[in-house]
Amino acid sequence: MSSIRSNNPHNDIEEVLIDDAAIQARVRDLGAEIASAYGGEEPLVLVSVLKGSLIFVADLMRAIPINVVIDLMEVSSYGGGNTESSGTVRILKDLSGTIEGRDVVIVEDIIDTGLTLNYLMGYLSGKSPRSIRIVTLLNKPARRLVDLKVDWIGFEIPDKFVVGYGLDFRETYRNLRYVGVLKRELYASALGES
Amino acid sequence: MESAVGTQPFAHRSEAEFAEILDFYGIRWEYEATVFPLTHHADGRVASRFTPDFYLPDVDLWVEITTIRQALMRQKRRKLQRFSALYPDLRIKLLGASDIKALMWKYHRSARGVVGPSGSTTPPRKRRERVGGAAA
Repeated sequence: MSSIRSNNPHNDIEEVLIDDAAIQARVRDLGAEIASAYGGEEPLVLVSVLKGSLIFVADLMRAIPINVVIDLMEVSSYGGGNTESSGTVRILKDLSGTIEGRDVVIVEDIIDTGLTLNYLMGYLSGKSPRSIRIVTLLNKPARRLVDLKVDWIGFEIPDKFVVGYGLDFRETYRNLRYVGVLKRELYASALGES
Repeated sequence: MESAVGTQPFAHRSEAEFAEILDFYGIRWEYEATVFPLTHHADGRVASRFTPDFYLPDVDLWVEITTIRQALMRQKRRKLQRFSALYPDLRIKLLGASDIKALMWKYHRSARGVVGPSGSTTPPRKRRERVGGAAA
């Protein structure tokens, strides 16, 4: 089966798992819930984990009716071409500002194994914030290896390959306004299936 | 963290890959660390036992990896059910072929040779007979 993708990303989607309207409604609710949890004078720090959470954090920060600042982080992933150098996670993009004494919310697109987030929690905790909480658009608990307290979850999803709304397959499909399940033939070869 | 992946004789390549992933994210692991008795003969001798592939002390989780046949998966599931009944305070997770494939995919690795019999790094062997029975 060919794994060549069409130039229309919608044609590559098996089913729409969460449509645009449902995402926007949930993001509004999450924004209100997050705002109600904080009453400090300092703006809340949203730490977006690149690249997947970029779309989510852009919508989420506009749904939070209190002062927020945004910072971005990117970490290397296993097998992402960085393993030969050190064999451990590397910070590819660190925070621009300090989070010492600040309330921090890590913004994730999806949590599955929890390995990256577990690393990030340890790393950011070392910077002495006042608090760290986690919000994720999608949660895939079936894949969890490391238990983490996730404070806000947009949607629990089944164990399927999803793309869209920031989530990618080989860097594409991030621009879809919905979360959809990718057609199996497009990623089967990467799974070692014929 | 110092890795033992290079020196550890894993039974299957999927186990070596899993250990490398754990190393990468700084999660400590022990390989086949403890043997748990599952059933006993009338005279008290251990009749069957179970040795989970990994113990992750940082997250207090036991992990068993099975990537070959569905029949073996069913057998493993039965063992895990027995394990959970006997040791209800211990958390264990079974990673099957689809789980390993998903991990490989997530981390941009080919699953070829990692899932299935071709991933064996050593001939099938008998588990070590270091009977423990208590959580590490």
